[in-house]
Amino acid sequence: MKKIRKQRLITVLLILISSALGSFLVIRALDSNLDFFFTPSELFKEELPDNKRIKVGGMVLDGSVTRDKTNISFVITDYEGSIDVEFDGIVPDLFKEGSGVVVLGYLKDKTVIAEDVLAKHDENYMPPSIDLKN
Amino acid sequence: MLIEIAHFLSILATGLFFLCFIFSFFLNSKDIYIINLVSRIYTHSFLIFLSSFLIYIWLAITDNFSVLYIAQHSNINLPVFYKVSSIWSAHEGSMFLWIIFLTFWGAIYNLATSNNQLLKARTLGVISLTSVGFLLFLLLTSNPFETILPLPPENGADINPVLQDPLLAIHPPMLYMGYVGFVIAFGQAIAFLFEGNPEIKWEKQVRSWSVASWSFLTLGIALGSWWAYYELGWGGYWFWDPVENVALMPWLAATAFIHSLSASSKSFILRIWTLLLSILVFSLSLFGAFIVRSGIIDSVHSFANDPERGLYLLSFIGLLVMTSLLLFSYRFNHLLSNKKIVSLSKESFISINNIFFGTLIFSTMLGVLYPLIYEFIYDQKISVGAPFYNAIFVPITLIACIFLYFSIDSKWQQSFNFKSLYQPLFLSITASSVIVALAFYKFLIVNFLTLASLLIGSIIIIRYLIVIYFYFVYRKFANFFSIIAHCGLGLLIISIALNNNLSSERALNIKINETAVYKDYQINFKNLRVVPGPNFDSVKADFVITNPNGKVFTLTPEKRKYFARGQVTTETAIHASALKDIYMTVGDQLDDGSWIVNIQFNVFIRWIWFSAIMMVLAGLLLTHSLSRSRS
Repeated sequence: MKKIRKQRLITVLLILISSALGSFLVIRALDSNLDFFFTPSELFKEELPDNKRIKVGGMVLDGSVTRDKTNISFVITDYEGSIDVEFDGIVPDLFKEGSGVVVLGYLKDKTVIAEDVLAKHDENYMPPSIDLKN
Repeated sequence: MLIEIAHFLSILATGLFFLCFIFSFFLNSKDIYIINLVSRIYTHSFLIFLSSFLIYIWLAITDNFSVLYIAQHSNINLPVFYKVSSIWSAHEGSMFLWIIFLTFWGAIYNLATSNNQLLKARTLGVISLTSVGFLLFLLLTSNPFETILPLPPENGADINPVLQDPLLAIHPPMLYMGYVGFVIAFGQAIAFLFEGNPEIKWEKQVRSWSVASWSFLTLGIALGSWWAYYELGWGGYWFWDPVENVALMPWLAATAFIHSLSASSKSFILRIWTLLLSILVFSLSLFGAFIVRSGIIDSVHSFANDPERGLYLLSFIGLLVMTSLLLFSYRFNHLLSNKKIVSLSKESFISINNIFFGTLIFSTMLGVLYPLIYEFIYDQKISVGAPFYNAIFVPITLIACIFLYFSIDSKWQQSFNFKSLYQPLFLSITASSVIVALAFYKFLIVNFLTLASLLIGSIIIIRYLIVIYFYFVYRKFANFFSIIAHCGLGLLIISIALNNNLSSERALNIKINETAVYKDYQINFKNLRVVPGPNFDSVKADFVITNPNGKVFTLTPEKRKYFARGQVTTETAIHASALKDIYMTVGDQLDDGSWIVNIQFNVFIRWIWFSAIMMVLAGLLLTHSLSRSRS
C-alpha cells in the first residue's frame, strides 16, 4: 500500500511540476508578444520604447491623407490627440478620411511606421473607446 | 402568414424536444416502449422544425421583405443561390441553421441506431435538451421570425458583398455541421455516465460520428481559410484572429478526442480521458459560439454584438458544462480502469499526443482570453498576435511529430521492438536530409525552424511511404486512414514552412501601358475597363505578365462597387501553379492617374489546403469503413 502511495505522490508531483513549467513558458511567450492598443491621446502619456509593437486606433483625420507612389501617410485622431502614420502598401477598401482605422506598427520619431492597416468589415466600426466619447 | 406558421412550428418543436428530454430521463428508459416513444417524438419534432426552416428558405427565395431579417440581409437583385445563403449571413439565421444541424445529427443518429437501445433514448434526451437551450436562445434573444408590418419595404438591404461568394455560402454550413456533430459523442458520454454501467461500450458507438464531425470541422476551417485568402485580399491563409482561434480549439480537442477514442474503443485504458475529452470538445464548440455571438472580443471579423445574448449563452453553456463535469466526477472512481499503460505502446504515444494537444488548446485559450483579463486588471487594451501563437505552435507541433514518428510502428498494449526501428529510421532520415539539403541549396533557406520543419515533415511522409511499400511487397499491415491523414500533416508542415520562408510581396505604382519589373517578372498594365455586374459595377484592370521563362499570362484584379450599400470590395486575381500563386490586388488611383497595385508570390500555398483535404478524405473514408463494420 505504501509503495503505491509513494508512486502516486511522485506522479502527482511530476504532473504539477511539468504543468507549472509549461504554464510558465507559455505565459512568458505571451508577455513578450503582446501588442498594446492605444488611442492617439493615450500614446503620449506613455513612455514607449521604439522597438515595441503597438496598435493604434482612431479616426483618419479629414484632409490628412497624402500619397507618394506606394507610400501613404495620414493622421489618426481621437479628437483629443493625434499621431502621424506612414505605410507602404495598399490600404483596405474601407479606409477613408473620417472613418475608423487600426494600425499595427512601431513608433519612431513620434510617427507610427505601420506594418498593417486594418479597417473592419463592418463600415460602422469604430474603436469602442472612441465610440463612447461621441 | 407563412412566417407566422414557421414561427409557430419552431415553438411547437421546442416544446416537443423538451418533452423528449423529460421522457428519456424521467421515465424508465430501458423500457422498449419508452425508447420507441422518445425516438418517435424526436423524429416528429425534427420534421416540424425542419418544415419551419424550409418555409423560411421559401420566404427568402420569394423576397418576402415583411420578414425583418430577410429585409435586412437579402435583396431582389440577388441570384437565388445568395438569397438562400443570405439566411446564414448574419446572427439570427446562423443560429437557425446551427440548430437545424444540431437536431439533424440527432435525427440521423436516431435512424441509424438500432442495436444500442440502452443508451439511445438518453442520448436523444441530451440532444433534445441542448436543442431546447439553443431554440430558446433563438426565439427569445435573436428571433428570425420578427416581421415589419403593416408596410414592408419594397427592397431588402442586401447581403454584405464580401459574403456574396459561393465558397462562403458553404463554409458556415460545413463548420456548423462539424461543431454540432460532436453532440452525438457528448450525448452518448452523458448518457453513459448517467447510466454508470462500465460494461457498456459507448466508445465503439460514437467513433464514426465523431470522425465524421471532425471531417466536417476540418473542411469548414479549410474552406474559411481559402475564402479569406482570395476574397479579403490580404493574401494569407491564417491570421490568428480570435474568431479563427475559437474554431481551432474544438478542432484540436476533437483531434485529440478521435485519437484517444481509437485507443479506448479497443481497451478501456484511456477511457476516463476520452470521456473528459468528449465533454471538452463539445464545450469548446459551444464556447466558440459564445465568443463569436457575444462579440465580447474585438475581432477583424464583425459579428452581432449584444451583451444579453452573451449572458444567455454563457449561462447556458456554463450550466451544461458544470452538470456534465459533476456527473463525470461522480462516476470517476467507478470507471477507473485498473490496467496500466504499457510504456512505448500505442496507448502511451496517444497519451503523450494528448498532452501536446492539451498544451496547444490551453495556449490558444490563454491567447483568446488574456486581452479580456488584462483589460479588466490593468485597464489597458492589448491584443495577442501571431508571434505568440507561432512561438507556441511551431516547437510543440515539431516535437509532437517526432513522437508521431516513433508511434508509427507501435502496437496496442505492448512495447515496440527497437530492432524493427533501425532500417526505416535510417532510410527516412537519409532521404529527408537529402530533401532538406536540396532546399538549402536551391532556395537558399537558412532559417533553422524552416529547415527543421522541412526535415520533420518529410521524415513523416517518407516513413509512411515505407509503410506503404511494406504493405504491397511484404503484405504487412497498413492503416491507410492514418497514412493519408498523417501524410497530410507532414505536407501541411512542409507547405507552411516553405510558404512562410519564401513568399514575398511588393506594392507597385504603375500607369496604364507602363511595365514594372518585380523579381524577373514583367508586369504590363494593359487596360482598364468598367464592366457592369448583376448587382454591382466593377472596374477591371488587365495586367499582362511575362515570367522569367518568357511565358505570358493575364491577371485581372478588380474593384467592385455594390449598388445596395455603396460598399467597395476588392477582387483578387490569382495565377495558380503547383509551386506558387501569383496574387494581385488593385488599390487606389493616385492624383497623377497612376494606380497602386499589390503583387504577391505565395509559395506552396495551395498545398496547405490540399493537406487539409487529405485529412478530410482520410476522415470520410474512416467514417465510411467504421459505419459499415458497425452495421
